[in-house]
This record gives sequence, structure tokens and C-alpha cells, in this order.
Amino acid sequence: MTDYTIDELIITCMSRELRGELLVSSVTAFGSLAAHLARSTHAPDLAVLSTPESGMDAVPLPTLSLGQFLTENQRAIPLTMEDIFDAIFTDRFRIWINPAQIDQYGNVNISVIGPWDKPKVALVGSRGIPEDTSHLSQGLYYLTQHSPRAVVERVDFISGAGYNPERRRTLGAPGAPTCLVTNLGVFGWNPDSGRMVVRSLHPGVSPDAVRQATGFAIEVGAGIPTTEPPTAEQIAIIHAADPLEVRKLELLSGKEAAEKFAVIYERERQALHAAWPRRRQ
Amino acid sequence: MNKVMSADDVIAQIPDGATVAIGGSSLSRKPMALVRALARSDRRDLRIIVNVGGPEVDLLLGVGKVAEVIFAFVGFEVMGLAPHFRRARQEGTVKFQEWTEYTVMAGLDATIKRVPFLPTHSMLGTDLLRVNTAFKTFQDPFAGETLVAVPALRPDVALLHVNLADPQGNGVVLGDGHMDALCAKAARKTFLSAEQILLPERLQTYGRDVHIFRTMVTGVVEAPWGAHFTGCAPEYRADLQHVQEYLAAAREGTGWHGYLERYVYVSHQEYVRALGGEHTLGERLRV
Repeated sequence: MTDYTIDELIITCMSRELRGELLVSSVTAFGSLAAHLARSTHAPDLAVLSTPESGMDAVPLPTLSLGQFLTENQRAIPLTMEDIFDAIFTDRFRIWINPAQIDQYGNVNISVIGPWDKPKVALVGSRGIPEDTSHLSQGLYYLTQHSPRAVVERVDFISGAGYNPERRRTLGAPGAPTCLVTNLGVFGWNPDSGRMVVRSLHPGVSPDAVRQATGFAIEVGAGIPTTEPPTAEQIAIIHAADPLEVRKLELLSGKEAAEKFAVIYERERQALHAAWPRRRQ
Repeated sequence: MNKVMSADDVIAQIPDGATVAIGGSSLSRKPMALVRALARSDRRDLRIIVNVGGPEVDLLLGVGKVAEVIFAFVGFEVMGLAPHFRRARQEGTVKFQEWTEYTVMAGLDATIKRVPFLPTHSMLGTDLLRVNTAFKTFQDPFAGETLVAVPALRPDVALLHVNLADPQGNGVVLGDGHMDALCAKAARKTFLSAEQILLPERLQTYGRDVHIFRTMVTGVVEAPWGAHFTGCAPEYRADLQHVQEYLAAAREGTGWHGYLERYVYVSHQEYVRALGGEHTLGERLRV
């Protein structure tokens, strides 16, 4: 069996959800690599973006500069913010979102921990998630650390609409959650009950491990399939697309993250410098 | 008309309590030289409009210039949360309105189109409609569907940073456009800083890269490295080492005064010098 790491497994699971001829955003390293992997294998028509908002048909090198700089052979078609939101409103866009909290109904939160008016921790604000959760036919989420703090019974604030009563009253299906990939398994939603269901458990993950890491009672019945691990080819594609290992930053914190960050920052400078000889005077 | 002026001339045209829209996005092409000039002025009670905000909002909050922030996001991406934003949110010292990326654009667009609001499905099913009373739901008069009315956002001033400009106020953007053109069209007065000011006949050769038209622009400031410490593609990338220095100073409180003395309460030329000068910056950040 091929050796793989958890980031490679998560990214491979994410890539399997992408298909068709759609724009795929690259807000995070995981999202950008999932899009690139899908396009390199089963979904050759995907239009992968180099940054959160532009650069269509780039080979996304995950960078700390958020794709603002591409090497010459990554050259891409520029888009505008209007192009991006028009693609969202016409359901020609996909994005993998990494929320701070997600609940059993697929509501997600990146705004605040605690009440909005008096937050315990003010996070960042809903960004473009309310647009995604009102228009897209796939709602795609991932977490690198499945824990009761992240997979909660009720989110503190609904930045993105899951299966909640207001959705049923106004939106209907557009923008509903469809997939959550974590370090423990792949999850989906039952559109009738609106509740999270287990689609597969990663190799070596027990039902109990999922129950303990989930902040609500989740049913893990018998006969849940095991997630298919990445192939050697898929791993090779990820490695080639992310030679600086920007993706590893999403798994680290504190001192380890700072050290990794410094290494990547310097290597990124060297990589970009080498690729842009016309700017060396 | 020659509209070239200094950063201080720009600030002189921004009154207390003004609504200021700031261009750029995240760590990309923020008009930081103009924002620093605003931060060291005696302006107060500003109302800030940003889409994906970060250092500009955090700095202005950190020097107490802000009464209200309209935002879709304020943070430093992979580098972390915005310290002064977080503190102000948690202590409730400043008014905040959480919007979204599209609705900030729609609010500006409503002003441009001279309508009181634009409709959207965005935010239905979310808590934004609960905490932000600026938005109202209504029934579509044709089919009776529930929609959200996004009210017009009317900035008094827009501050933008562009790659190139001419003295008349045309502006070239070579990287992502963000919502800068909307800011320029919606604001009563728009001011540009530019990496370089060129003669109009040279600027015209950039064709469709001219995103900002002189008919919307009141003043132009030449400020090489004027987006620093955010990036300005394809000239230079965001200075993530400086982001770390900023975040450390802003988090602690004790280092904040020193940071301001060194980098904010100085002219733009002194700022560039404090960072080691243009050559050193170029070695580190030009790609």
C-alpha cells in the first residue's frame, strides 16, 4: 500500500467532489491543490483560479502571497470580482471553505466565538460565504482537525446557511451543504432531515473516534465504507504542485508553524525570483 | 488638469466623520501610504468601508480614528487575526456592521446607479440579517419571492493605490482589480496613490489596464512602495516579515507606540528609509 499523509488524504477526498467545467477558487492551499488534482485526473475541464478572485486556468502554485504572483509558465486569464460573483450567482463556481465551526445542519461560522455583539473571540467576518450558501449547488467544507470545538451542535453565528428553518422558508436547495471532509472521514447531509451523515471513515478511524470528536450525537452505523486512500499518482501530483509544502501550514500552529512559515517564505522568494529573470536588474 | 498632490493635501480634504472607502483586498494593493497619512493626522470619527480588509482597518483602529467599520472580512489571512479589530470588537468601543463581499459591492453599485438598494438572495438563512439591521427583506413584486435589499453605500472619499497613474488621474491596475473601480465611481471624491506617475500619452498605451478614469479622480499622489506592507502585483509581494512585526507590536500594546513612532508618525520617505531603503526592499520583495 502507498504511504500517505493526512493532508494528502484530505486533499484527495476534496478533489473527488469536483467535476465539470466550473471555476474553482483557490483561497487555501488545500482548496487549490484539490482543484489542481481533480483537473489533473478525472475533471480535466475545471477552470482553476490562481487567487481567490482571478487568474483562470493557472497551474496553482500554493503560495503565501495568495496567488498574486505567478511564474511565467503559470500565466492565467485575468478575471474581475464581478466575473467571480456572476459565476457564483449562476452556479458556475466552486469553493472549499475551512470554517471555524460547522454544525449538524451544516451551518458554518467564521465570524465570532460567543455572541456577535459581545464576542468572546472576534474572528474575521463572513467574507463571501453568504453568497456561496445562497447560490451554489455544492456546499463544500473541510477541517484539518475534527474536534468538538469545530464540529458543534450549534454554531455561535451563522455565516453560511446550512439546513436551517430560514433556508426552508426562503432559499430551498441552492447553497445547501453537500460535503465535509475532515481528518477522520467524509460526511454529507440528508436533504430531508437536514442532518449530517457519515459517508466514509478514513482508514484506521473507528466509529468511536468520530463520536468522541463530534460535538453532537452522530450516528455511525454498521457498514460505513472506508475512505479510499490516495494513489501513488495522486500523491505525486500533490507533491509536484506544492513543492514548498504550503499545505503543511494548515496542519501546524505556534512555533512549528512559525518555523515552517519562515522556510517557505524564503523558498518562495527564491522560486519566484528564479522564474522572473526580467525583474532582476 | 494637473491633480498631482501630496498625501497631506489628500488628508486635508477628508473631514472629521467622513465615510472613507478603501480599495485593495486582504494583503493586496492597499493604499497604505495614504492610510498612514490618515493615521498620523488629527482626523477622527471616520466611517470606514472595506470589502476584504486587514492592515488598513487594524491600523486606523489602533490609532483611534474610527467610529464605525463596514466590512466583509478583517484579518491577516494565514498570518492570523487582526489584533486591534479583535480588541475593538470584543470591547465594543467602535460600531461595526458586518456585510459580505458581494453586498459591499452591491451597496456601492446602488449609489452608482442612483437607486436606494439592490436586491439579492445572499445572506438569506444567515445571522447577518439578525445582527445587521441595515439590510431588510422584502417580497419581489413580480413573483413574491423573499429577497434582501442591500442599501446604497455612499462614500465621501475613496482611497486607492494603483500601479501607474497620469497627472490627470487616470489609473492603471495590473494585478487583481478588487472593488477599486466601484469605490472610485461611488465616492464623492477619489484619491489615488501610484507607484509611478507617467505622462498621459504613455499611460494611454496601457489600454484596458486603465481601470480608473480621471473623470472620477480628485487627486493623485506619487508614492513608490505606497502599498507596502501589502503587495502590489506585479511589482512587489506582501512583506510578510513586516506583517509579523506589525502583528507582534499590535498584539502586545507595549510595542505599539514604538511601532507608530518608527513607521507611522513619519513621512512616506522616512518610512521607506526605516525599512532599509528602496534597494533593500526591492531585493526582498520584488519578484
